[in-house]
Amino acid sequence: MDRSLSSLPPPRRKAMLKKNMASRRTPQQEAGSSTEQTYVYKVVLLGTTAVGKSSLAFRYVKNDFRESMPTVGCSFFTQLVCLETTTMKLEIWDTAGQEKYQSVCHLYYRGANAALLVYDITQKATFARAKLWLRELEREFLHDEIVIVLVGNKTDLAAQREVPLEEAEEFAKSKSLIFMETSAKSNHRVTEVFMAVACELLKRERQKEPTHQPQPWKKSCVDLQEPSNPAKRCCRS
Amino acid sequence: QEEMSLKSERRGIHVDQSELLCKKGCGYYGNPAWQGFCSKCWREEYHKARQKQIQEDWELAERIVLFASTCSSSVDYHLKARNQWFSISSTFRSSDYLGFNFRLQREEEEAYASSQNTQGAQSLTFSKFEEKKTNEKTRKVTTVKKFFSASSRTGAKKAEIQEAKAPSPSINRQVSIETDRASKEFIEFLKTYHKTGQDIYKQCKMFLEAMHRKRELSIEEQSECAQDFYQNVAEKLQTRWKARPFHHISKANIKLLCCGPSPHRSMNSVDLRHVSSPGMGFYLSVSPEKVEKVMDQIEKYIMTRLYKYVFCPETTDDEKKDLVVQKRIRALHWVTPQMLCVPVNEEIPEVSDMVVKAITDIIEMDSKRVPRDKLACITQCSKHIFNAIKITKNEPASADDFLPTLIYIVLKGNPPRLQSNIQYITRFCNPSRLMTGEDGYYFTNLCCAVAFIEKLDAQSLNLSQEDFDRYMSGQTSPKKQESENWSSDTCLGVKQMYKNLDLLSQLNERQERIVSEAKKLERDLIDWTDGITKEVQDIVEKFPLEIKPKNQSLAAIDSENVENDKLPPPLQPQVYAG
Repeated sequence: MDRSLSSLPPPRRKAMLKKNMASRRTPQQEAGSSTEQTYVYKVVLLGTTAVGKSSLAFRYVKNDFRESMPTVGCSFFTQLVCLETTTMKLEIWDTAGQEKYQSVCHLYYRGANAALLVYDITQKATFARAKLWLRELEREFLHDEIVIVLVGNKTDLAAQREVPLEEAEEFAKSKSLIFMETSAKSNHRVTEVFMAVACELLKRERQKEPTHQPQPWKKSCVDLQEPSNPAKRCCRS
Repeated sequence: QEEMSLKSERRGIHVDQSELLCKKGCGYYGNPAWQGFCSKCWREEYHKARQKQIQEDWELAERIVLFASTCSSSVDYHLKARNQWFSISSTFRSSDYLGFNFRLQREEEEAYASSQNTQGAQSLTFSKFEEKKTNEKTRKVTTVKKFFSASSRTGAKKAEIQEAKAPSPSINRQVSIETDRASKEFIEFLKTYHKTGQDIYKQCKMFLEAMHRKRELSIEEQSECAQDFYQNVAEKLQTRWKARPFHHISKANIKLLCCGPSPHRSMNSVDLRHVSSPGMGFYLSVSPEKVEKVMDQIEKYIMTRLYKYVFCPETTDDEKKDLVVQKRIRALHWVTPQMLCVPVNEEIPEVSDMVVKAITDIIEMDSKRVPRDKLACITQCSKHIFNAIKITKNEPASADDFLPTLIYIVLKGNPPRLQSNIQYITRFCNPSRLMTGEDGYYFTNLCCAVAFIEKLDAQSLNLSQEDFDRYMSGQTSPKKQESENWSSDTCLGVKQMYKNLDLLSQLNERQERIVSEAKKLERDLIDWTDGITKEVQDIVEKFPLEIKPKNQSLAAIDSENVENDKLPPPLQPQVYAG
């Protein structure tokens, strides 16, 4: 199995790092005013080659399209988001989408807080691949450990559409994912995607706060009870 | 019949009773693992020899230190020292004390590591290569040593303790230079934090002492201690720096803080805290960056000191894994950029320059001690890769381009002790650096690359299984086949060679032409002289020499005293009558 890879830190480490990361926030919360909190979130971009993962991130962070720009690399970005009273730092990790790297991909989303499953609406195969990724994420994370967003990119090429909007919507609903169609090229709903992620992350953080302790037995219950789509409400606020 | 079976048994085993006994003749049975001694005698023998060895070791070390101090330049020292090591160690190799040999090589390695810092970048790659070689040697030796000490536990252990108590001065010297520098820098750095700095220093000291006591524990437990330490210190710093400003600010300021969201705040606005009003100024001092900065220094200080004990410790199989990866990469030497779909064109000089730099960076990672410095090497390497891709594709690289290129770089560079380094970083790096941030991202990519290399197969290179197997077994190489099609595409050296060969053949051609022309010239000259001679002869024949008699008489005047006797006798003085 992939987990037995020697380059992986032992599974124990994963839990520990998480503990560390979580506790990195606590002192800031304890220290008083709720106005100043910086949360760091890791967002991974998953999707087949050339579906526009990097372009999406680039459009969001630099508000430009990837074809014409001076930057050297675009596979790692950070973006500060201020929502209500909270400052959030999104770290966006681009990943290699080629099929041959599928087996090592789990290293990328280790410790991720959110994942964007990107597919190309003009290529049916990329949608199937996104489903595959979802299955892997479900294996790796508990449902409320990670925010998953299904993103259909390249709406500017709607004429060549192969994946119907309804089909993707239906799928997202059945898996209770956030769903959106975007275009990195024409800057359609790109910021909204990331804001939806930020909102959802914040919401989950808030849910955790009053209890101060995650209750694992409660997790699955919550999912079953409310498969609603809170993101849409959030991003419009 | 009984006799027969006994005989055949004897023949089969061929062991005399006396051979089984201890060589020392104490009456107990000996064991070939203890060179024919019984356990008790072997321990005594071994211990004695060990003592002697330690004595000699000391003398040797002193000699080396003396020798080192006489060599002025470090490069000089390095080379000479190496020669001396070899001459000395070769004499020891005949004796069986592998443990000692192992230490020799260790020292050699350490001397290397420190001399590298002083040497220029030129010799870097060479010494890296050498280091790799010695690493392999030591590895072999250690496994033997492990076996060795396991069979005679107490004796070896005692000796080892003694060794630990009295390490040879040369090691101390080399290591202490670096640790001293780290300590000095750390103390200088902490001075700017006054009381907090003192506190930090005290805690670090305590932690180091605790780690010293825990040296016997497994590496995982040690790692956990380090991680807990990082976490505790970070938390303390955060609360401390957060709490203190609160004593000094007025209530009005608190109110200002607590009242709702400020009007400046908008969605997506970037880091408002850094342009906040003076009332909020104190908050700047609590920025996570400040804590991170201190944490970095703490990491640097403690890890420089712990490196020796926790990097690739003997209790783990890190070394073995290193060897496996190294062998694997070596076996994959035939992989071309085309197979990995690497979007890098090395024929562009700038790109190949970047590739070389990236390889140097990733190799350099092994020479750093602090996990964060190692991470910095990986990041630097990644930046060069991005540049290479950008120059080739004329478009910034995405992760789809980056990972294959990183894999290619790792395959090409075969960085020393790759697994040990990765393990060391994951165990002892400040977790906030490792899990988030750019460094963490590139590190994860490196992990992916190594994982990919480990399980790389025919499919992932778009090859048929037969081809893959043939290349792996070394029967053929894709380069050989392809060289028939496009000969000069393979590597820079070969390309240069072909260019030189081309030049040589051109030169050869020219020389031949010169020789042939020279011959022609020679021929022409001969022909010419022949022609002239012929012409002269022709002329001579055409106009034969006519001798005119007149001319002859005239010529006779000048001839020497011709017909001298015909002349009248010279006048003689005559005497007149008188």
